[in-house]
Amino acid sequence: MINKNFVDFSILLLLKDKKEYLFSFFIFTFIVFLASSILFISDSIKHDLFIALDKQHQIIVKNTKSGRYTPLSEEHIDSILQISGVDNVKGKVDGYYYFAQDRRYFHIVVDESLDEHSMIISSEIKSILAKFKYTTQFNFLTQDGITSLDIKKVIKSNIISNDVILVNEDIARKILNMDEDEYSYLDVLVPNNSEIDFISLKIVDLYPDIKVKTKNDLKSDYEYVFYYKGGIFMILYIVSMISFFILLKNQISSVFGEKKREIAIFRSIGFAIKDIIFLKFIQNSVVALCSYFLGVFLAYIFVFIFGAPLLKNIFLGHDASHIIFTPIVDVKTLFVMFIFTVIPFLASILLPAWKIAVEDMSEVIK
Amino acid sequence: MRSKILIRNLYKIYNEKKENEFFALKNINLNIKCGEIVIIKGISGSGKSTLLSLIGALSKPSSGDILVNEQNIAKLPDIFSSQYRNEEVGFIFQSFNLVDGLSVYDNVKAPLVLSNINQDELKKKINLALEVANIAHKSQQMVSNLSGGEKQRCAIARALVNSPSLILADEPTANLDKNNSLIFVDILKKFKQLNKTVVVATHDTIFDNLAFVDTYVNIEDGAII
Repeated sequence: MINKNFVDFSILLLLKDKKEYLFSFFIFTFIVFLASSILFISDSIKHDLFIALDKQHQIIVKNTKSGRYTPLSEEHIDSILQISGVDNVKGKVDGYYYFAQDRRYFHIVVDESLDEHSMIISSEIKSILAKFKYTTQFNFLTQDGITSLDIKKVIKSNIISNDVILVNEDIARKILNMDEDEYSYLDVLVPNNSEIDFISLKIVDLYPDIKVKTKNDLKSDYEYVFYYKGGIFMILYIVSMISFFILLKNQISSVFGEKKREIAIFRSIGFAIKDIIFLKFIQNSVVALCSYFLGVFLAYIFVFIFGAPLLKNIFLGHDASHIIFTPIVDVKTLFVMFIFTVIPFLASILLPAWKIAVEDMSEVIK
Repeated sequence: MRSKILIRNLYKIYNEKKENEFFALKNINLNIKCGEIVIIKGISGSGKSTLLSLIGALSKPSSGDILVNEQNIAKLPDIFSSQYRNEEVGFIFQSFNLVDGLSVYDNVKAPLVLSNINQDELKKKINLALEVANIAHKSQQMVSNLSGGEKQRCAIARALVNSPSLILADEPTANLDKNNSLIFVDILKKFKQLNKTVVVATHDTIFDNLAFVDTYVNIEDGAII
């Protein structure tokens, strides 16, 4: 029968073998930490991207010529507005400004609330500009000469805002050398979601050079890039899995040898097979649960407090030093990870323990 | 006197119906009464340890019956045979079979953790067993730091802690010097006074011609002679 004395004794045995368990504890914690960190980073990136996506209309229209993006005109807006089912078409201005001194591109985005003399920059941009002594203002080199803007505000860098400079629309046109009736892309509002795909095809029929992306297309693109099956995510998961199987192998071999004798001793003094299983279950549950929660906790601190140094550069490149990850914890995924790590970890001990417990122990304990 | 252990037509065959079939025990019949001290004598490989492990339900016989307190333990399911070992039997092994890394106290405690007794009663039982085995003064020592004789007394304390009515000792003096072997013989006397039924499997001559021993059983090639 399982009782307090039994649980206390199981913990006593766990502490007795703490050196052996420490190895499993550290390896398991590291695996959970690595897997959780990857999850937190990918979930946070996806969250920020999807938030940005939600603010956009259902269809994004961009023009291309010879495979390169070229501006759209008022004519495009008028034609698309004629398509039945389209409620509104908004021309948007944005693009990239090349900052030659640092060989970096800045993403110029329009913010109507700004006047013609100021701009909002990300903390990443701030640190780049500061390197060249632009601490309060910055001079853009445009076709019409120099355009000076004051730094009004600095916003946190996230995956969307990292390289962003927000400016007034007229200034944006000036910096990007775009005419009054030119737009970088069009935001098409379609009230009926079921018509989105049909209207997309209609737009392509109208202008074969045009690239049409629906919100779902973009979502799929983001999912693909930051999904666990993709690229670096997959590699890191494979590393985690290999480490995990090494850990399991170590777990299994630990049950044989000296532990086999110990199991036989306990059997000889009256432990039933179920008692042996429960003894091992208690010991390894303590190790697995402590490792799991410590791994997740450390990953949270690592990603959301320290900004995931090293891993951040792997995922987002060397320009990502100022990016802050929005704290997003997907409990469902963590639960799935719990099931796929803690249960095999326990099984790797309980199955061999059971196998030994059912053996004839008289030869082992002579 | 009432039978404590009644063995009828007991066989233990290893690798049954295979080329290397081996009869470890052949047609064993034995009647051990309550409170008796029985010495099973025989050379190594004669089958005495196998007989002890069958009486202790550590393994199952190929055929035959082993009645302990009139209950056949030969075919008990694991849960009941484990309960029988825990409550009815105290084992003393040649190699002591203590759990290294635990103290004497914790080793002696091990059989009690299966029962839901309170801490006071637990301590009382352990201390009593330690006193009887004369190892109370080493209770907090790690078993790995004990001498052979002390380890033996720790094993005896563990065998006694649950107040079993049957003590099974397999070559208990094989790893002991002469003095400690004599101490064990004295402990056997104590068991007799406590009305325990004791079965000792040994080839040590120190157990020969002891006045308090009730029965000597000689075993050779798996059969009682």
